[in-house]
Amino acid sequence: MQMRLFIPREHARVDDLNASLEAVLANNGVSRAIQGDVRLIVEELAGNAIEHGDLARVGAEEHELCVDIGIREHVLTLEFRESGAPFNPLEQPPPDLDADILDRATGGLGLHLVRQVAEQAHYQRVGNYNVLRLTLRIPTEEDDA
Amino acid sequence: MNLAIELHPPGKGSQRVSVGGRLDTHTFEDLDEALAPLLNRRLHSLVLDLSGLEYISSAGIRSIFKARKTLAPHGGKVLLVNPQPQIQKVLDMVKAVPLNEIFSSTAEADAYLDAMQRKVLDAAEGDAD
Repeated sequence: MQMRLFIPREHARVDDLNASLEAVLANNGVSRAIQGDVRLIVEELAGNAIEHGDLARVGAEEHELCVDIGIREHVLTLEFRESGAPFNPLEQPPPDLDADILDRATGGLGLHLVRQVAEQAHYQRVGNYNVLRLTLRIPTEEDDA
Repeated sequence: MNLAIELHPPGKGSQRVSVGGRLDTHTFEDLDEALAPLLNRRLHSLVLDLSGLEYISSAGIRSIFKARKTLAPHGGKVLLVNPQPQIQKVLDMVKAVPLNEIFSSTAEADAYLDAMQRKVLDAAEGDAD
């Protein structure tokens, strides 16, 4: 299974994207747990691109976020592509998780979650695009699908 | 599915709120709004029953942090009850909740609160002696 989805850079559309992805994943027998992981990755990355993307550098025709999703054997692949200033989410400093719980900075949590949930992650700058490729292993036992 | 928020009748300085559905970028403001008037009441505990919560993202975690920060100056706590596996996993990944503020049932959280209350009363009596 392989498909590509485009959405405008708007929070409300991210929810639509996730609804579509969830339907696709469910149809392909992907468990609820993995569906939740995919939703988390998509929400955090798209939200980050929408909030921090440098719109001045984004051409009108490149205004969309693009997500490719593929399932092959027991591996699910997600590829995010967005234009804008170079930004490698994998190189952002991790949040200080051991700071006093009341003084904790709340930034950086989303990208940290993405890095934790994905089994592998690879960033590449391709022309004007930030391309992030993530893989998740799909458990063979679909007992909670 | 969106977020479902149910406010239970307030107890003595304690308030239980059931949160169901999805707590994320699209819904965290609803929770912040629902909690704001409660957090003004100098609660000693806000008990969030997460039994019905199916999904949480960093936006939802920030809402919990915010509530905790609002209650902390006068010694109030946010306790979480019965988080489902996805929720527990995400909370663990960002070390969002100290282990002693997470409970498997409301009964367990109530027992903890009673014990806390007794400790406070004992301390007050000790002072009086």
